Amino acid sequence: MKKVGLLFAILWISLNGYSQENLQNAGQRILNSNVLNGVTIGGYAQIDYNEPDGSQVGKLDIHRLVLLFGYKFNEKVSFLTEVEYEHVEEVFVEQAYIKYKAIESLNVLAGLMLIPMGIINEYHEPTTYYGVERPSVDNYIVPTTWRELGVGISGKIDNASLKYQAYLFNGFKSYKDGEGVLRGSDGLRKGRQKGAESVVSSPNFSTKLDYYGIAGLRLGLAGYFGKTQTDDTSIEASTVGVSMIGFDARYKYNNLELRGQYIHTNLSNTEDYNTLTGKDLGSKMTGLYGEIAYNFDLKGVEKLTPFLRYEKFNTHADTDGNLAANKAYDRDELFFGLNYKVADGAAFKIDYQLMNNAVSGSDTSKQFNAGVAIWF
Amino acid sequence: MKKLVFIVSLFLISTSFTVSKRIDTLIIKEIKGVFNVEHFEKRSITISNELNDNLPLKITGTNFYKVESNEDHLGYYYLGQAYGKADYFDFIVIFDKELMVSKVKILVYREDHGGEIGSKRWLKQFIGKVSTQNLIYQKDIAAISGATISAKAMTNEVNKLLQTIGILINKQQL
Repeated sequence: MKKVGLLFAILWISLNGYSQENLQNAGQRILNSNVLNGVTIGGYAQIDYNEPDGSQVGKLDIHRLVLLFGYKFNEKVSFLTEVEYEHVEEVFVEQAYIKYKAIESLNVLAGLMLIPMGIINEYHEPTTYYGVERPSVDNYIVPTTWRELGVGISGKIDNASLKYQAYLFNGFKSYKDGEGVLRGSDGLRKGRQKGAESVVSSPNFSTKLDYYGIAGLRLGLAGYFGKTQTDDTSIEASTVGVSMIGFDARYKYNNLELRGQYIHTNLSNTEDYNTLTGKDLGSKMTGLYGEIAYNFDLKGVEKLTPFLRYEKFNTHADTDGNLAANKAYDRDELFFGLNYKVADGAAFKIDYQLMNNAVSGSDTSKQFNAGVAIWF
Repeated sequence: MKKLVFIVSLFLISTSFTVSKRIDTLIIKEIKGVFNVEHFEKRSITISNELNDNLPLKITGTNFYKVESNEDHLGYYYLGQAYGKADYFDFIVIFDKELMVSKVKILVYREDHGGEIGSKRWLKQFIGKVSTQNLIYQKDIAAISGATISAKAMTNEVNKLLQTIGILINKQQL
C-alpha cells in the first residue's frame, strides 16, 4: 500500500508541479522517467444507479473501482495487480500474479488469478459488456469476480488460433469455524476465499480452451474440478465435490454482436453436507444466457448500442436426499437497454431488468438501472 | 505439490537459456518461406528527412528493406511495432515486388490480453491488400472478441503502412 501511495504522490506532484502549458511535457516526463519505466497504470470503474419498481428507494453506488498496476521487470518477467474498492469501503485484491514468459507460446503464472470460466470472469471490465450490471449467471452460477491463489500455465498456439490455460487453485471454502458456508440461493458464491488467508485441503484443477480461428467468432470451453476446502479435515461431510463445465461463444459481424454461455455445475456429497450444516445446497446448478446487440455508428468513435439479454439459471436444478428443490431459485431474467459509448473505454448505460422465478403466482420484479462504465 | 514446484523450477531454468536471436531467425525463416528461396539479400531503404516528415510511419533505415536473390528483386519487408492496451508488440509485413501484402506475422507479443491477434488465420486477412486500400476494423478485417484493442491497433498500423507505401510510390521512391 505504501508503494501505491508513493506512486500517487509522484503522479500528483508531477501533474501539479508544472503550469498548464507544460501539462503535455509533464505527461511525457512521467512516461519517460526512470521511476515509472516498466510500470503500467490502469483501472476500471462501474458506478450504478438501481431503482427497483415499487416502494423501495433507488440506490446510488460506486459498485467497483479498480486500480491496476503492472510492472515489467524484463522481456520475460512481469507482475500485475488489481486493487479493488467495492462500494467504496471494502478493499480487495482482485489479481496479483507474476508471469514468466518461458517461450513465446508458454507462460508460467503464480499468485492470485482469475478462474477462466465463461466470458465475464476474465473479461469483467464494464465497457466490455452490455448492461449496467454483469449478467446474473455470472453472479449466481459463476461467482464473479472469482479469483483464487494458485499456479498455472497459459499460452497461445498461433497456427491453431487457440489459447490454452491450466491452473491448480485452492478451492472454495465450504466449512469454517464449525459452520457451513455454501447455500442454495447463490451456490458457491460465499465460498470464495479471494486470497485472504486461504485454506487449502486439496487443490482444484481449472482449465480453458479458446478457439478464434473462424472470422468474427470466438468459442470457449472451460472446466473446473475438485473439492471444496475445509478448516476441519476430520469431518468428511464438511466438503463437497465440484465439477463445473462452461461453454461460451461470442460473434461479431459488421455492427451485429451476439454472445452466449452455458454453465453446468455438479456438486457431490451435498446430502451429507446439508445434514451436517443445516444448509440447503443444491446438487446441480445450471445457467445460460443469450445476448444480441447492434451498434449504430455515431460521429467519431461514438456508438449507440441497443441490446437484449435473456438469462435462465437455477441453483437448485437438482437436490440430493430429502431437500426439496426451492422454486424461487429457478429464475429467469430479461434485460434490455442502451449502451452509449462516448470514447474507447467510457460509456453511459441504461437498462431495464425483468426478474421471474418458477414459484407459481409470483410476480415479475422489475428494476431500472443506469450507470457509468470506465476502463483505461 | 513439492514435485510440481521442482518440475516447474527445472523447466524455468532450462528455458532461461533460450537465445534472444529468436526474432532474427524467425524473420529469415518467414522471408525464405514467402519467396520460396534458400538465400536472399536485404537492402535497406532510406529516404530523405524531408519526405519522412510527411509519412504516417517513419522509414528509419532499419525497418524497411528490399529483398533480392541473385540480383532478382523479390519483394519488400517492414518491421513494425504497435501498441496494445499496455505494451508494444512487434510484427513483420512482407510485400511482393508489386507491393501487395504477402504475409503478416506477429513476432513478439508482450502483454497478457490480446495475444489472439497472433492467429495465423486472422492475419491472413491482410494478404493481398495494397496501398490504395483503407481497412475498416470489423468490416474489412474481422473482429476478435477479447482482443479488440490489439486487433484495432494492428489494423490501424497496417493502414498507416499502406498509406506510407502509397506516398512512397507516388514520389517514385520504390
